[in-house]
Parts: sequence; C-alpha cells; structure tokens
Amino acid sequence: MRFDRGCKNTTAAFLLLAVTLCGCADPPAVFVLNDAYYAHIERKTQTTFDPRSRDDIGLILASSFGEPDDPYVPLIADLDATEILDLTRVKQSSGRVWSDKIGIARGLYREHCIHCHGMSGDGLGPTASFLNPYPRDYRMGIFKFKSTGKGLKPTHDDLVRILTEGIPGTAMPSFKVLDKDEIESLVHYVRYLSIRGELERKLIELLPDVEDRLLDDALRGKQDDKYKAQWDTIRGTAREVMEKWVQAEQEVLPVPARPDGWQDPETMRASVEHGRKLFYGKVANCFSCHGDSALGDGQTQGVDAWTRELLNDKEQFLGLAKMTPEERDRFEYLKARDPRILPPRNIRPRNLRQGIFRGGRRPIDVYLRIVNGIDGTPMPSAPLLKPGEAPNPGKLSSDDVWSLVDYVRSLQYESISNPNDHEPVVTRERL
Amino acid sequence: MHVGSPNSISPWPARWAIVLACATFPLIWVGGLVTTYDAGMAVPDWPTTYGHNMFAYPVLDWLRGPWDMFIEHGHRLLGSLVGMIAIGLNVSVFRNERRGWLRVLAVVALLAVISQGVLGGMRVRFDNRQLAMIHGCFGPAFFAFAVAYACFLSPDWSKVSAGRLDRSGQRILRLSAVLVVLTYLQLILGASMRHLTSQISPDFFRILVIFHLINALAIAAHIAVLRVRIAANFPRVLGLLLPVRGVLYLVSVQLALGVGTWVVKYGWPEWVSNWDFAAGYLIAAKSHSQSMTVTAHVAIGSLILAASVLLLAQTARRFLPTGASPSRPYSADRRDGANRPSGLAMEAVR
Ligand code: HEC
Ligand code: HEC
Repeated sequence: MRFDRGCKNTTAAFLLLAVTLCGCADPPAVFVLNDAYYAHIERKTQTTFDPRSRDDIGLILASSFGEPDDPYVPLIADLDATEILDLTRVKQSSGRVWSDKIGIARGLYREHCIHCHGMSGDGLGPTASFLNPYPRDYRMGIFKFKSTGKGLKPTHDDLVRILTEGIPGTAMPSFKVLDKDEIESLVHYVRYLSIRGELERKLIELLPDVEDRLLDDALRGKQDDKYKAQWDTIRGTAREVMEKWVQAEQEVLPVPARPDGWQDPETMRASVEHGRKLFYGKVANCFSCHGDSALGDGQTQGVDAWTRELLNDKEQFLGLAKMTPEERDRFEYLKARDPRILPPRNIRPRNLRQGIFRGGRRPIDVYLRIVNGIDGTPMPSAPLLKPGEAPNPGKLSSDDVWSLVDYVRSLQYESISNPNDHEPVVTRERL
Repeated sequence: MHVGSPNSISPWPARWAIVLACATFPLIWVGGLVTTYDAGMAVPDWPTTYGHNMFAYPVLDWLRGPWDMFIEHGHRLLGSLVGMIAIGLNVSVFRNERRGWLRVLAVVALLAVISQGVLGGMRVRFDNRQLAMIHGCFGPAFFAFAVAYACFLSPDWSKVSAGRLDRSGQRILRLSAVLVVLTYLQLILGASMRHLTSQISPDFFRILVIFHLINALAIAAHIAVLRVRIAANFPRVLGLLLPVRGVLYLVSVQLALGVGTWVVKYGWPEWVSNWDFAAGYLIAAKSHSQSMTVTAHVAIGSLILAASVLLLAQTARRFLPTGASPSRPYSADRRDGANRPSGLAMEAVR
C-alpha cells in the first residue's frame, strides 16, 4: 500500500522533529542586539566598524538598562524621567512569569506580549511572520496611533488606550481584562524597551564618526578623563531619546471644538459634501492613496518606515516579485547579518468603506489621524492652518478637517454601487 | 449494564477504571487552562501551596483568590484526586482481578500519575517551560492509557474473540496504529506552539505551524480512509464502528476549533480582510471566549488521542492473536454481528 508507506515516512519525519523539540532547554533571557541596523549603517557609510564596538554597545546597554530578568533605568542628571520610566513598574512587567504572595502578577510582558513583540521589543516574536501588519518593533521609537504631532512620541494615555482598546483588524489584542496597574506597568515597559532600542540605534549611528571607541572599558581607572568623556557622549544621546518621551506629555495637539449644532442632519449633510470635495481635492489629496472609491487601492506600493530601511529608503516598493537588484542586494545582505528579519511587505492605505478605524472610531480619533498623519506609514499629516493664520487655499482649516472626518465616517454607509457618485465626480473634481 | 467478567470476580475494578478515566479528562482541561492563562507559576512553591500543606490551604482563600491561582491550585487538587483514584483502582484490581497483565498495568497507571505529579512539581520548582511542555504532553498520553485500561477491564473485552487477521484487518490495524502516532505527534506539535520559549525565531514557529497543519490534514485523511475501510469490511462490528465514528466526529470539531484558536489569538489572515467582520476583528486577550476556544482545542486533542487508542485496542483485540484470552471463533461474538462470509472468519492466521 503506497498510502500506508507514505504515512510511515511522514510519521518517521515527524518523530524526528518531536525528538529535536524536546531536546532544547529554556534559553536564557537576553536582549538581542540590533544586528540588522548595525549592518545597515556599516553598509550605508561604507565603513567597517571595530569588531569590538558590537560588544561595547552591548556593555553600554547592559549597564544602563540591565537584562530582561533584572532591568534598570538610566539616570540622567537634571532629567526627571520617573513619569515615563518608573523602575518598580518596569520591574513588574519584566522577568519570568509568576505571581507573588499577595497575588500580584509578575513578568507581564513575557506573559502577554513577547510571542508577538519579542524579548527585545523588536517585533520579532515567534508568531511575527504570520501577522500582517507585523507586530510593532518599538526600537525605532515610532508609534502610529497617538494624540501628538508627526514625529513625536505618544503620551502615556495614548499607550494606555492602545493596550486597553487594542487595534482592530490587526493582531494587536485588547487587554481590557488586565488591571489598571498591570496596564500601567506594561506601558512603562514598552517605553523602557523603546528607549533602550532607540538608544541602541543612535549609538550605532555614532559609530562611523567615533574616533577611537564608543566606550573602552579598559580606560576606566587609567584614563578617567577619556572614559568620562565617552560616557558623556553616551548620556547625551540617551538624554536626547528620553527627553522626547518626557516632553510628549505636553505636546498633545489641541482639538478645536466643533460649532454647535454640527450633528443636525442638514449641517451634517453639508459637511459630508464639503468633506467629499476636499477628499478628492488637491490640497488634502486623500484619494491619491485611498483610491478613487476610497477602497484603499490608490497607492498600493507604499512601505512603512520599518520596511523601508531594509530595502531602499524610498517611499515605494514594487513588491517581492519585482525587487530591483539593489533592493534584493541590501535585503539579502541584512538578512545574512540578522537572519531573523522578516520579508518586506507593502502597506496598504486603509479601505475607508469598511468603517474600521484602527486608531479608534470616535470622530476625535479620526480627526487626530488626519491632522497628525500616521507615523511610520505613508499617511501624511494634513496641511493645517496654524491658529490665527490667514485662510490659505493651500491649507485646511480645522473645520475642513472635521468635514473630512464626517465624510470618511460616512463612507461605510454610502452605496458604492452608484458609479455617478464616484468615478465621474472624481475625475471632474480632480481637474 | 452488567459489569464483571469471567476473569474478574467483581465489577469494581472496571468501575474504578472508568472513574479514573472520567476524572482525568477534566484534569486535562484544567491543565490546559493553566497553560492558556500562563498560570503555571501562580503558586510559586511545590508540593506546598504558599507554604501550606496543599490540602490544608484555606478553601476560601483559594476560591476567592486571583483566577490564575485558582486554576493552578485547583489543578493540583484535582491531580491529587486522580492519584487517589489510581490507588483505589490498585486496591480493587489486586483484590479482584486475576489477569496478571492487568495488575501490572494498574501499577503502571499509579506510577504514571505519580511521575506526572512530580513532573508538574519540577516544572514549578525549576520554573522550566520545557518541563511544562513535557508535562503537557504526558497528561494526554496518560488519559489515553486510562481510557484503554478501562476498556481492557470491561466485560465485553474478554467476550470478543481474537486472532483472525486477514488482509483488510491487517490494513485497518496498520492504519489505526499510524493514526495513534499521528495524533500524538499532532499533540506534541501543538504543545510546542503553546509552550513557546521566548527566543524561538519566527522561522521556527512558522515550521511548527506548517507541520501542525499538514499533520492535521494527514489525520483527517487517515481517519476518513479508516472509516471507509471499516464500514466496508465490518459494517456491523460496533466495537470498531463506534470509535472510528467518534474519532471522525471529534476530528471535524477539532478542525473547526483549530481555525477558531488561530482567529481568537492572531486574528483573521490578510486575505479575508475584504470582509468587514475580518477587517474589523478585535482580539480580546485572555477573554473567556479566547481562553475557552484555545483550551477546548487542547482538550479535544487529547480526546482524539484517547479515541484513536481505543480504536487501536479494539482492532488489535480483533485481529491479533493473543494467548491470554479464550480463543473462540470470531463469529461466536453475536454483539459484533459477525457471521460475515468474507473478512475475519475466512482467512485464519497461524
Ligand atoms: C498577537 C500579537 C500581539 C500581541 C500578543 C501583542 N501585540 Fe502589540 N501589536 C501587535 C501588532 C501586529 C501591532 C501593529 C499594529 C499596527 O501596526 O497597526 C502591535 C502594536 C503595538 C503597539 C504600537 C501601537 C501604536 O500606536 O503604534 C504597542 C505599544 C503594543 N503593540 C504594545 C503591546 C503590549 C504592551 C502587548 C502585551 C501586553 C502587546 N502589544 C501584545 C501584535 C501584538
Ligand atoms: C500618501 C498616501 C496617503 C494619503 C495621501 C492619505 N492617506 Fe490615509 N492612510 C494611508 C495609509 C498607508 C494608511 C494606513 C496606515 C496604517 O496601516 O496604519 C492610511 C490610513 C488612513 C485612515 C485610517 C486611520 C485608522 O485609525 O485606521 C484614515 C481615516 C485615513 N487614512 C484618512 C485619510 C484622509 C482623510 C486623507 C486625506 C486628508 C488621507 N488619509 C490621505 C495613506 C494615505
């Protein structure tokens, strides 16, 4: 019986696999170095770094942040960072999973997040390759759904909100069942990983210009001046990274209230109509990405910030099948240096007809997305008039943005089967 | 049902064995919950519970305590209960059962429960996830064993006559043996996916998932073939038909639960995102629906293993010659509706 024999062979293969699986012991909990970025900067600047610099960076990070089982937080003179990095809170989320005597859960990050976001917060947890979008790599310090402007860090409340609400339509779950304290602790831990990862990147960026070594531990006790100077540079860099997190709390974008009566059906209809014009107009230019029918099919070759770095530093990528030789070259080089990196993918603009808003579905959430853009993705921030600035045809007022919000939120109810509403209008208005 | 067999002077061993199997299933379920909630270390000491003798831990503290502590301590208590049932079984078997191999197996059962308990304890003492995985794989194996043992002790077991192996019987026997191997393997693969150590690479997990999927299809195909073969060759042999139907039914449920498990943990894949329900799906971490779906997938997995072991036992009983039991001609077993001209009765094997 061929069928039976086939079965036997598969069985043998499976058994072999099973035996191998049982053989492995618990791996130690260590942070993984950002080898892909290290290789990327080396290649970009066409330098070969001192082979010791990799260990130097490891040492700097270990002495400032500790290890996953025993984290510290760096102390920077004159920078009060307890609001963003509270050691007690960081500790509760770190380390192995257990409960202490009074039933407080410990090791929250490893219990809830690590299989997606990875031990180092690099978004390379075991399950990552199946998920789309990939889990967030915190190390770049870029977050998508927040109330602060382009390029700024999210506030504490933004992170709490993401953890509690989750991100619908992605693998990022809602952690509503966790206690408030547990969420707080996780938020501190996310910042801890992000600051650590971003500092690592900044240190790698320093390497091409560093005279001798970033940190030469042998100098300690011998040439203290030099050793101290090395640490000063490092601390300065750490401060840059941490300051941005501290400041973020003050940088929440004010959202102007809407004029009374905006919910009246007539006003709303007019606002939606105005929003539609803007959506297809040159200034907001939304349709160029979201497509002529807002199905998210306008610009399908965009890439996000995390992927761009692995390819071409450009806004576009034609897809795996059509990689240019340079893109393939860079990707394969980086993959050889850091085998865990995942295959590049395009990011699609949202299909706005599904009425699904990953950053939250309240009008104010959509407002913030439009005004701030979505960091790390092609979604730009709308050109907004500054308060007090004279009206300008190249910019949008906050009322314009509210109209865009109304239009975008109405799209899921608008029938797409009436072509007159769409393509022809679009072409007309585009001109 | 009349319990008792020519070899056993009392119905009690069989009853104990049934109780043992029935108590093990909830134990597996709760053990699955422990992993689902990552509650393995919710009680950091062993064999004590927060310093108390496990049985003396205040009941109210346990019932009112945090959920993960509730299930972990509950798992320990239930495990001890199963251990005590295994002791009762041994007493009963040694007093009433004459067949030596069944006495040996009773001891094996007790030793297995004890080792499993110690393994679980070591998982806690060393806080080792690899041990947790082995503990998780051994549990279902014990459950399948307990089910098979209950079947050996049942009076029907000794009534079935054995020892007629023809070609179709041979095939069925082989298929059932492979089925057991495949289902157990599937369980190990599943356990590896659940007991991920933190630094498994995405590529490795991908391999696990792919193997788990291929194996799922292999099992489904296998059981379908078995079902057809058994129905064609032994349409009235309930001892074979019932387990094969059971496995088939459980496997269908399990396939659905497998899809469900993926969805509640990782969401819908990209290619279904054109549907609104998929595009807007929000994963609710550690919610009841999530935990129950995942744990049900685990528990049904061990049920499938047990059912396939049962099927294997039943086929082996019918098609393998054994010296241990009275060898009556197969057709004498009226309940199994034999008297079939083809098949079993025709080609006797030496
Ligand atoms: C099942 C996989 C999964 C788990 C578990 C998971 N995440 Fe995520 N997470 C994701 C994915 C995927 C994204 C990216 C979503 C996107 O890009 O739209 C994400 C994004 C994030 C973001 C970025 C949000 C933003 O605005 O950019 C944060 C912060 C985050 N996760 C924190 C956590 C924390 C903390 C935990 C554990 C309590 C956790 N995640 C558990 C998959 C997961
Ligand atoms: C350069 C391309 C581009 C342009 C122009 C653009 N978007 Fe987007 N938009 C995107 C991408 C890409 C995403 C998906 C980001 C992600 O995956 O999180 C997105 C997402 C969105 C979302 C979803 C937010 C959420 O919470 O899920 C909304 C709403 C949106 N865009 C509205 C607009 C509006 C209104 C405009 C015009 C002012 C606009 N976009 C212009 C690319 C663009």
